Amino acid sequence: MDRAATLEQLARLCRSNHSGDATLAIEPSGTVELDAVLPGGGWQSGTIVELMSADIGIGELRLLMPTLARITAHERHVALISPPFIPFAPALFQQGIRLERLVVIRADKPADALWALEQTLRCGSFGAALGWPAMLKDRDIRRLQLAAEAGRSTGFLYRSPTAASEASPAAVRLQLRADAEGHLRIDILKCRGARSGMSVRSPRLRAEPDSSLASC
Amino acid sequence: MLWLCISLPQLPLEALRCQEKEEAIVVTLCEGNRRWVICCNEVAERAGLAVGMNYTMALAIENRIVMFERKTQAECAALERLAAWGYQFSSTVVVGEVPLEMQRSRTACIWLEIGASLKLFGGFRRLIERLENQLDCLHYTYRLGIAPTLEAAALLARTSIRVAITSTAALYARIRNLPVSRLALTHDIVQQLQMVGIVTIGAALELPRAAVAKRFGLETSHYFDRLVGALPDPRPTYRLPEHYEATFDFGFEVTSTEALLFPVRRMLHEFSGFLLGRDTATQRFRLTFVHREHPPTEINVGLSTPERSTERFFALVREQFQRLSLPSPTCELRLTANEFTSPTALQTDALNGALQQAEEVTHTLDRIAARLGEDRVYGLKVTADHRPEASWTATAVREKNASLEFPERPLWLLPQPQPLQNSALAALSGRAERIEAGWWSDEDVQRDYFILHTSSGADLWVYRDLQNDSWYLHGFWS
Repeated sequence: MDRAATLEQLARLCRSNHSGDATLAIEPSGTVELDAVLPGGGWQSGTIVELMSADIGIGELRLLMPTLARITAHERHVALISPPFIPFAPALFQQGIRLERLVVIRADKPADALWALEQTLRCGSFGAALGWPAMLKDRDIRRLQLAAEAGRSTGFLYRSPTAASEASPAAVRLQLRADAEGHLRIDILKCRGARSGMSVRSPRLRAEPDSSLASC
Repeated sequence: MLWLCISLPQLPLEALRCQEKEEAIVVTLCEGNRRWVICCNEVAERAGLAVGMNYTMALAIENRIVMFERKTQAECAALERLAAWGYQFSSTVVVGEVPLEMQRSRTACIWLEIGASLKLFGGFRRLIERLENQLDCLHYTYRLGIAPTLEAAALLARTSIRVAITSTAALYARIRNLPVSRLALTHDIVQQLQMVGIVTIGAALELPRAAVAKRFGLETSHYFDRLVGALPDPRPTYRLPEHYEATFDFGFEVTSTEALLFPVRRMLHEFSGFLLGRDTATQRFRLTFVHREHPPTEINVGLSTPERSTERFFALVREQFQRLSLPSPTCELRLTANEFTSPTALQTDALNGALQQAEEVTHTLDRIAARLGEDRVYGLKVTADHRPEASWTATAVREKNASLEFPERPLWLLPQPQPLQNSALAALSGRAERIEAGWWSDEDVQRDYFILHTSSGADLWVYRDLQNDSWYLHGFWS
């Protein structure tokens, strides 16, 4: 274990002693199979979750929709920071998200996007902040981690599939891919407080395809 | 009438700068063909420099001094700002004049009539506590005096007598034994008084006024009368302006933006006092940096809710400061505001959690908008239009949304539909969603939308343009 990780663990121990029983809240992911493996039965507030999706359009965003809907229903906010495409309001609305509690922030520079992520995570009024950072250093993730703890918020970072082979201080790291039947498969690369290396299937998260095509 | 005098003995120095420094600083003034020290900071005093010293002599004692030329204009501007700030404590504010000649016995000051405000603030102690708390934020060296007349309040403040004197009888008893040198008289008159054996203020006040007028001029006799309240002391009261415009004249050029943060902070404190005094708030103000050789630089600060807290203002200004590059050093700062709104949203109830949280959100988002630009932070809204690209719009954050029904839609939409080359797409059949709309505008749309399931497992939202029979990718079922 390297020095930074040891220090981090010590710091966490101190913090958890401080807060006593007032542990951070758990937000169910809405996917029974995933909740079964996540410690506490859902996303833990005050953590950073990395999602590495093999492709765009496999249901990687839908996975979070039940959580985001619940956050907005409970009067907290959700921030989308520099999303890669237009977050489509009618679809978000259909997923049960209260749009008046959703904020889109566009930053040109990666550093500004990280800063905005940190600000929203730390604020205390945001239940979750989603980011699509191109490059991330361990130090950045630790900063975000501290901000999320301070604001009792969860940071979801969508990273490139190649990031899966790198180490990261994030509490939860999930690799997402579509399986042969078209369901979303979630490989748990890392999960603090639980066994890693598990794989769960998230059924019926995807739209019913009208047609399928062999090559596209 | 009960007057509170805020006397500012270090104003010549503090009007020019407001952060403490490790170096000895003096402010000097030319009188005749000599240069005199009229104000020095603590470091300079420790080095043995004193007010009234010849500057040549001062240099002989300590040669590492920073010297500023006195700037009465800057002092006047500072008093003006302080008067607007003081309005929160009293609706009757009198601005004293800036003493022009070099005199120890006179210092610049402002007066607040507090007799009427005592009840509002809950007594002397509360009022003074609050006033001093705020004064400390402004970083002025100050002395307070409370008395029934303007001149007496100023005298008590100069003499550092921290007792509230509410009657003329008590006043006389309190000042009787003070030396005559404390009076706001010229050095010559004080010397003459002392020479004829009049050493205390009590003795001076017992002299027949006619004799005083004859010997020292009518002005001196009137001064005595105004001091004890035998003559009224009518002075123009400060009128709160419609628009806020405050200047901070440095008298020299400030090169680092970091150093500008100190005066900005003081100005924001004063501005916030002005807003409190007017019982209003603002959503927009402007800071102007005046340069000697370039046109001024302006920064506009916008807030999503009416606000009057210094800390909020400062947080937003600091955010903009980080990206600010000034073309040349700054010699003057200006703060202007001319739109004010009633501070309805400010009455946050401690029990009302929802409103409290809403405040936090706007604070965070304002800060982000200050750094990234106001158009970079927005909310989403659905609109009643069949065309996908027109069925949503960016809106102000937290705007209430209409409830509209749509067929199932993908989470990602492409900003521009991308043409698809794959000829195999022509084979796509099955349930299509026909969207025909917009014929009333130029953006006529006739499309058949499909969900395309690719072999890699991704679902795409594609359409066939019925007008030109081409295929486009329009979204992802992410």
